[in-house]
Amino acid sequence: MANDREILREIWEGKIPVHFKLSADETDVEPEEYFLLIPRLSYFPLVTDKVRKHFLRFVSNELQDGEMWMDSNGIPLKWHFPIGVLYDLLVGTDGTLPWHVTVHFSKFPDDILIRCPNKEIVEAHFMSSLKEADVLKHRGQVVSAMQKKDHNQLWLGLVNDKFDQFWAVNRRLMEPIPDQDGFKHIPVRCYAEDGTYQQKLVAPSTASGQKRLLQDLLDDFSTPVRKAGKS
Amino acid sequence: MAEESETTGIDNSNDKDLAANVENLSLANQKVEKQEAKKIDIVLHATGSAPILKQKKWSVDQEKPISAIVKFIHKYLKLDPEERLFLYINQTFAPSPDQIIKNLYECYGTNGKLILHYAKTQAWG
Repeated sequence: MANDREILREIWEGKIPVHFKLSADETDVEPEEYFLLIPRLSYFPLVTDKVRKHFLRFVSNELQDGEMWMDSNGIPLKWHFPIGVLYDLLVGTDGTLPWHVTVHFSKFPDDILIRCPNKEIVEAHFMSSLKEADVLKHRGQVVSAMQKKDHNQLWLGLVNDKFDQFWAVNRRLMEPIPDQDGFKHIPVRCYAEDGTYQQKLVAPSTASGQKRLLQDLLDDFSTPVRKAGKS
Repeated sequence: MAEESETTGIDNSNDKDLAANVENLSLANQKVEKQEAKKIDIVLHATGSAPILKQKKWSVDQEKPISAIVKFIHKYLKLDPEERLFLYINQTFAPSPDQIIKNLYECYGTNGKLILHYAKTQAWG
């Protein structure tokens, strides 16, 4: 675990430069654009307070209480996906930076996005994801043995972008428990380009004790069509 | 006569086999057939002060998201619009509203069923 520390930090520090602009149909004036470097591992509602404040100056009074939402190239951004996942899905590796994101305060697409009226919703979603991952890794034993203050520390570590604070607790979630060789299952989610995702039980080794490879995992998640297309 | 083991829901044994084989089927057959709505049995348990459902076991389209189940229970229990409803897996975590039943069944299904607990307040926050 200790050997991974540098890699963990590199991943944690991954950031994306984003160019925010206000949707043209929400304002009569030409508002200044807004640029921000945001962490891949975070969620949009946790890093866009400044964006909201900036653009609210340019929208009419009746939109002041509208819930802010964003799109990338016309596709609404799901706040409950990590920012890095959204970027990889919608822009991909050959995209030019900065990432162009359009900000809206009206016409909230209720059929596509979950409402996010406050950060408590994000916290509940984040903690639920952590718990789910622990159910897969340790039957939920580690996360349920933690105290409220540990949960808070994980959350605040993420919100305040504090690597050490987060990992001091997260370490426990990433280690095997005493009577277990490794993780029971590996929490994996496979996102498709349309924003849907698949989940399966992924054991770290086969029934005969052989360690499973990344290729095995990819095969598990491949559809027959894709497999056929590959050969 | 061999001893008779009385099992509940014996009429569903075919469905169970089907559900268990869903994965094999979809991998083996490259037919459009697999696009057809496969059903998964879910069992809904009330928690806390939430009213109990008369019918606990339901067969649902495996592509249905959690939000649809929440909406369904909400309507079935005739809750007021402002009343909230939370769904939990393993009495541990609340799946995201866009999570589909198939994914949850794959990971947390037992004996051909997916067990969900519902509550009117956050139960395992």
